[in-house]
Amino acid sequence: MPEWPKDPKYIGKSTPRVDGAKKVSGAAKYAHDVQPEGCLYGVVLRSRWAAAKITSIDLAPALKVRGVKAAILVREGSRQVRYYGDELAAVAATSKRAALDALRAIKVVAEPQPHVVKEHLAARPDAPRVFAETPNTGAGRERKQGDPDKGFAEADVVVEGLYATQVEIHQPMETHGGVASFKDGELTAWHSTQGISGVRDGLSGALELPQNKVRVLGEFMGGGFGSKFSAGVEGLLAARLSQAAGAPVRLMLTRFDESLAVGNRPSTFQKIRVGARADGTLTAFSMESYGCAGYAAGGPSAGGSTNSGFPAPYIYRVPNFRTRHTEVSIHAGPAAAFRAPGCPPASFGIESILDELAVKLGIDPVELRIKNDPMELRQRQYRMAAERFGWAAKYRKPGSSSGPVKTGVGCAGSAWRVPGGGTQAEIEVSPDGSVEIRCGTQDLGTGTHTVIAVVAAELLGLTPADIQVRIADSRFPPSGASGGSMTVTSVTPAVFDVCTKAIEELMRTSGLADVRGPQWRAACRKLGVSPLVLQGRWIDGLSAAGTGGVQMAEVEVDTETGFVRVKRVTCVQDAGLLVNELTARSQANGGIMMGIGYALYENRVMDSTSGVMLNPNFETYKLPGIADVPEIDVAFMDLLERRVMGIGEPVTIPTASAIANAVANAIGARVTSLPITPDKVLAALGKVPGAARDNPHDAWMSLFATQPA
Amino acid sequence: MKPFTYQRALSVDTAVAESSERCRLLAGGIDLLGELKEGLVEADKVVAVTRIPGLDTIEKKSAGWTIGANVTVATIAAHADLARAFPGLAAAARDVASPQIRHVSTVAGNLLQHSRCWYYRHRDVTCMKKGGDVCYAREGEHKYHALFTGGYCISPLVSSLAVALTVLDASVVVRGRGGERRLTMAELYAPAWDDHAVHHAIVPGEMLTAIEIPLAARRSAFVQASEKASFDWALVSCAVSLELEGGVVRQARIALGAVSPVPYRDERAEKALVGTRLDETTADAAAALLLEKAEPLPHNAYKVPIARALIKRALLAAATPG
Repeated sequence: MPEWPKDPKYIGKSTPRVDGAKKVSGAAKYAHDVQPEGCLYGVVLRSRWAAAKITSIDLAPALKVRGVKAAILVREGSRQVRYYGDELAAVAATSKRAALDALRAIKVVAEPQPHVVKEHLAARPDAPRVFAETPNTGAGRERKQGDPDKGFAEADVVVEGLYATQVEIHQPMETHGGVASFKDGELTAWHSTQGISGVRDGLSGALELPQNKVRVLGEFMGGGFGSKFSAGVEGLLAARLSQAAGAPVRLMLTRFDESLAVGNRPSTFQKIRVGARADGTLTAFSMESYGCAGYAAGGPSAGGSTNSGFPAPYIYRVPNFRTRHTEVSIHAGPAAAFRAPGCPPASFGIESILDELAVKLGIDPVELRIKNDPMELRQRQYRMAAERFGWAAKYRKPGSSSGPVKTGVGCAGSAWRVPGGGTQAEIEVSPDGSVEIRCGTQDLGTGTHTVIAVVAAELLGLTPADIQVRIADSRFPPSGASGGSMTVTSVTPAVFDVCTKAIEELMRTSGLADVRGPQWRAACRKLGVSPLVLQGRWIDGLSAAGTGGVQMAEVEVDTETGFVRVKRVTCVQDAGLLVNELTARSQANGGIMMGIGYALYENRVMDSTSGVMLNPNFETYKLPGIADVPEIDVAFMDLLERRVMGIGEPVTIPTASAIANAVANAIGARVTSLPITPDKVLAALGKVPGAARDNPHDAWMSLFATQPA
Repeated sequence: MKPFTYQRALSVDTAVAESSERCRLLAGGIDLLGELKEGLVEADKVVAVTRIPGLDTIEKKSAGWTIGANVTVATIAAHADLARAFPGLAAAARDVASPQIRHVSTVAGNLLQHSRCWYYRHRDVTCMKKGGDVCYAREGEHKYHALFTGGYCISPLVSSLAVALTVLDASVVVRGRGGERRLTMAELYAPAWDDHAVHHAIVPGEMLTAIEIPLAARRSAFVQASEKASFDWALVSCAVSLELEGGVVRQARIALGAVSPVPYRDERAEKALVGTRLDETTADAAAALLLEKAEPLPHNAYKVPIARALIKRALLAAATPG
């Protein structure tokens, strides 16, 4: 069994990003920055209708606009449009102005049809159908364990609640798209992607090109969060436009496009019942839920988890449970995998009702969780987090702090279990001692370049600066997509393998007993004139899955204006064997900030009458700014024996739940849907004339009333 | 965006001569460029006014202060003398958008900015404010919309500076082809109260050149409530000014922003304070009077309690020597 070094110099320490200087100086080239000679400007024509039959699209007027080099249809023939923003056609021109003029010149003949963009309205039997042949709600999926009826009968208390989560949009800083260049029957695509191999395969399949004639590059990319696994409609359009125009085409989406068509986190509606004994032990759980992944579960964005299902009762041990989940389709953009798919909504429902149960039983929420959480590690984390956070002193009876601005605390846990694998890597050791590692993985901004340099430096006895890391080129040895928090678990064992092989080979050729560190250059000189090139692959025993985490949040709520301020978040995260603490910490900070956005601000707002999304911009699709970010305290459990694990996803799961529980603890009333905005806080406090305390529930109740439970 | 020609005016006369339905005046560009890019408005010509000499100064004269049209919001936020004289105005300026936007946006542009209603701003929605026949917001998503309006459109005025200047009895100087006119802040927005087609009283062929604030022994304050801690529109804003004599109110002004197409005032609320000492009770009574005619809709009723809290906070802040 291979083993990581016991007394590491770099692994588990903090190495600044090896590409940091490039990033802050602008030298790092993202897909957005690539400008080949003669590059054309590509744009996409989108549907202005939420539902329509497109009978014809006339591209001829667009082709007459000066500067236009190509105009293509997304699909030939008459077709159905199922959401506002669906792609219809694309244009490439010598300037942005010409391209936009051409878009306006395209003549689209459409027969608009009735649409429905709200989940509870879509579930009505008489609602306009998203797909003519099937109702908008599916048959529903049931899961059962034990005997729920018996479990509820054994319970001393039963609590019920209705919880809802919004549609959240990925909104990476770099929008989707890329630059495509066809030349001599070969395609080169600089693409903003989480998976260069998948993009290569997707483009070669769609364009019927041999895979060895398609090269995908993406050394730097500005975030994806699960929405950038495939070439996407825009990637394929860029390639087709380049083919048609005989010139490179740059097609990057605008923020408007980005908000409509390239994925989101599905909404959920959860009617939950929990039974427990007087000591807090859970005896039964039942849930009826609905979820909406846009116009259809699945959709064009690959990457899995594109339906609205979510785990329940999530991380807790409940002997008896029954769940039933139903998908609802509406005329809106499709879901895509989104950082820890299913988990933040799952966490919000169960963690909310657990706090309701804790209040009802008079048990401390932390103790209630420790009692019902089967993972021993997370039980320890609760105690560690409580200590760091000062939970015992801060937790008070809900709504009991004095004055109009009230403080409160909340907690929540997380789990993540996706193993890595399937990566190959290559090392090139030159006679002068320089080292290059090549791997067809990619760096989402999480620090893959740095992690590879750290591992190679550790094993070879060099420094991270000595290692030239080359990634994100589909000609390099393949790795998987960067999703599921599995980049580090997939890549580091392959780097370990090539480095180990390089050491063995160098020992053989040089005859030296140890070639690492101070001996490295001397050993390499013995290579003569040819560099040493070796391949390696992922090996078992160095990485693992099954991480746990706990977060606690402290908030301040102005009960007169409904304004919520997060004061502090404490995160205790099992990181397995930490590879690089600095970049891991950065991921935790980012995950928590994303969780704050999910908790308090972000929400896709659809308009029933027009069928459009009303906030396809950062003005009213609100993201946390730096003024909204609290003190974040991250503590990693750095456990060598647990081997390398990914943490990108688990760190965002419990943040919103902990904040929601903190708000409820502060004001003594619960906002049961995300985001927790001032209007909902004031309604929960009973301060809004004419509004029920559970204002949106009327609409949700109609969702639950549409079908027999 | 439809192509247009660009010209730079070096005098108010040139700008006014050029200004028309098809020729828009450009200052900081935050509002106009957004509208042009989204295709909400079209222009054949755009005339930049930021290089016109004399419009970027803040002056104190015997009658009062004059703020040139091209003074940036950041300049107002950072002007120490102005902040001492009108703390409410400085506070409002500090809460506008982001530092980047404050450094290019002008006071005139802030006052004359158009509706931020998300139906009005949507490229594929033609609401009544853009020449269509319906107000989508009334039946649709109106959590950010108005509680008071004389018409059917419920797009609110979002300029915080307008609210702060209203309680200072400020007026604006408007140059037209036939000469100059002065409008009170109330007059500047009055047409928008019941005419959904307009945003304010300035018409093509006119240019706002300055803001005048009379000298008065007033205390002022401004507060706003938003969803985020910074770079966010106000859900409700409130400005007040008070003339006090021995702790007793001699004159009061209270204006609300983001709840009406105009800076919303009600003289009854202001008169009720005259002769009283400000405390929780008198402030709340004034707030209740000011909000009495609110016509909340299902999604914006929460603005009523927020407004009530802000009115109280602004009044008590202005009454407290600070």
